[in-house]
Amino acid sequence: MNSAQEAQAAQLPRRIIKETQRLLSEPAPGISASPSEDNLRYFNVMILGPSQSPYEGGVFKLELFLPEDYPMAPPKVRFLTKIYHPNVDKLGRICLDILKDKWSPALQIRTVLLSIQALLSAPNPDDPLADNVAQHWKSDEPGAIRTARDWTLRFAQS
Amino acid sequence: MSDSEEYASGSLMEDEEEEEQESASDQEKDFGLDNSVTVSKKPAYRILKGETLEERRKQALEEVTGVLGITEEDAARLLRRFKWDVTRVHEEWFSNYDAVRASVGLQDEAPVPSTSQATCMICFESYPTDQMYSASCRHLFCHDCWQGYTSTAIADGPACLDLRCPDPKCTACVPTSIIKRTAPPEALAKYQSFCVRSFVEDNRSLVWCVGRGCECAVECCVDRTADEALDVICSSCGATFCFNCKEEAHRPVSCEWVRKWAIKNSAESENVHWIIANTKPCPRCSRPIEKNQGCMHMTCSQCRFEFCWLCQGDWKEHGDRTGGFFNCNRYDAAKRKGDYDEETRKRDNAKQSLERYMHYFERWDAHQKARNKAKADQARISADWLERLSEQTKTPSSQLKFIMDAWSQIIECRRVLSWTYTYGYYALEDMDHKASSTKEGNSSAEENQRFFFEFLQADAERSLERLHEAAEVQLKKVMENNSTAQGNGAPLDLDSFMAFRTHLIGLTDVTRGYFEKLVRQLEKGFEDLERDFGGGSAEEAALIETTL
Repeated sequence: MNSAQEAQAAQLPRRIIKETQRLLSEPAPGISASPSEDNLRYFNVMILGPSQSPYEGGVFKLELFLPEDYPMAPPKVRFLTKIYHPNVDKLGRICLDILKDKWSPALQIRTVLLSIQALLSAPNPDDPLADNVAQHWKSDEPGAIRTARDWTLRFAQS
Repeated sequence: MSDSEEYASGSLMEDEEEEEQESASDQEKDFGLDNSVTVSKKPAYRILKGETLEERRKQALEEVTGVLGITEEDAARLLRRFKWDVTRVHEEWFSNYDAVRASVGLQDEAPVPSTSQATCMICFESYPTDQMYSASCRHLFCHDCWQGYTSTAIADGPACLDLRCPDPKCTACVPTSIIKRTAPPEALAKYQSFCVRSFVEDNRSLVWCVGRGCECAVECCVDRTADEALDVICSSCGATFCFNCKEEAHRPVSCEWVRKWAIKNSAESENVHWIIANTKPCPRCSRPIEKNQGCMHMTCSQCRFEFCWLCQGDWKEHGDRTGGFFNCNRYDAAKRKGDYDEETRKRDNAKQSLERYMHYFERWDAHQKARNKAKADQARISADWLERLSEQTKTPSSQLKFIMDAWSQIIECRRVLSWTYTYGYYALEDMDHKASSTKEGNSSAEENQRFFFEFLQADAERSLERLHEAAEVQLKKVMENNSTAQGNGAPLDLDSFMAFRTHLIGLTDVTRGYFEKLVRQLEKGFEDLERDFGGGSAEEAALIETTL
């Protein structure tokens, strides 16, 4: 930590500091999250595409922001890398219950990112955010999976 | 339609008024009028005031706590889960004990942890366990985190009534004791108001009165299908609305037609408002005329020409002498019948559908406005005249209630009449289109239906106009004659006043009966219209004559 970060950290709730420390010291497999230098509530996230999914071999960048009332309010998360997924829209917004009404303050950044990783393994076209992608998934799953794999190769290479 | 579904106005009467209602119907018996028209045996709804609501809520809670032997707090959870249906709570509790308890988050108490220190899983700080709280699941959190959790949930709305343990895998409900201990005072007040409001908001047979600032609730007392209209008048604030769709009261029109009508009105409103706002010159001298009296009988202040505001025809032709009555409610699609080539017809169709809509809208709108005017007049008369009249007639103002009753009836009738035009617009839609697009026109059966509908509507308008005129013009005359003849404050000619009283009460009763019947008949639809209504109306028309 540099001195500017230390000054910021002094104002951060202990919970966020502890979470950050643990994320850096014991990262979850296939996930990395590190706070931005100028804003300790803003995290740069990378998730590796899970094996045996159309996203395998891809590196997906996300941004995660802890709002003022975190952990009473959920973090804001969004994909920065283009991804073909029925629960992620064109702007990278994610349809995931724990980011909305199922949020609980006992959840953490780590659990949120693990849930997103799980969502990549198990897309849920019945609760879609991107309507056309979900439609594609339901009418022609092999075709949709091919497109997702194709996008992974085109957009999600580090 | 059975007796229990009868027109609801009977339910508006408070106890003492009900007696008067009965004596009024005795009077009608003498006139040979069908009693079932005016006396409702079972009210369709009840207005519940704050104290009564609280009593009823407590009663429901007691019924559940008593039978199930659980706390009031848990009873409230179950009642909310089953829409405050006590019988259903009992049934579900005894048939699906485990599932029902789980669904509202009731769990057996977990053993108390033996450690003296624990980590709060929200802030990750360590605290002595005796400073931490938990639901029955014993997931401990510190005071500050509970405070954040409960106040955030309360700020999010009434869903906080079903708050669960913050542990994402746990479904235990958060006991009220924790909320009381941790929520800040304003949040706690809000929480308690959610508890009380739930009794109405989660209850299938209750809705809040829509009147601004009114704290009454309305209870529906009859079986009704999910989408059935039920007109309600709040006895506390006077708001009138439909129990089902919360729009303005609108019988005999269905909620669906009201929705369509509102959309139609907003879509066409610019055209129609412009035309209506700009096209009411005096039919004789063409001076622009603003309607400032409630009834449709207009007199041009410039040329003294008397005409009907609706059709702009000569008022003389609306009299009984010519046998014309109120012909102006009739939309004459037939007169547009004729030889049309294809092009002209296409061009005319668009124009005609607007014209047709305007015909109904204009009349709907005129009655809506007349209703608002009547409301204002009623308030004015109540404020300015009643006291004076009470002094002059040496009668207590409670004895002058018949004047207010007449006005309330006028307001109610204006509303019903207004909606009969919406009714006509949709119910006659197919017929009007057929009449204008084919040479053959409608079958004689259809023509008969139309004829009966318009006859009833005209008759209703006629009896209302008569009442409106009596309550407005004649009352004014009674007051004025007196003040010019004997100076202000002198005793009134009691005989003429009593005559006026009898006349007005009679008219009010007859008009009420007529409109109640009209509403019920229109709700039944056209098929039964002729059969049920055909015989009676001539008789009643004669009755109106005799009461005058």
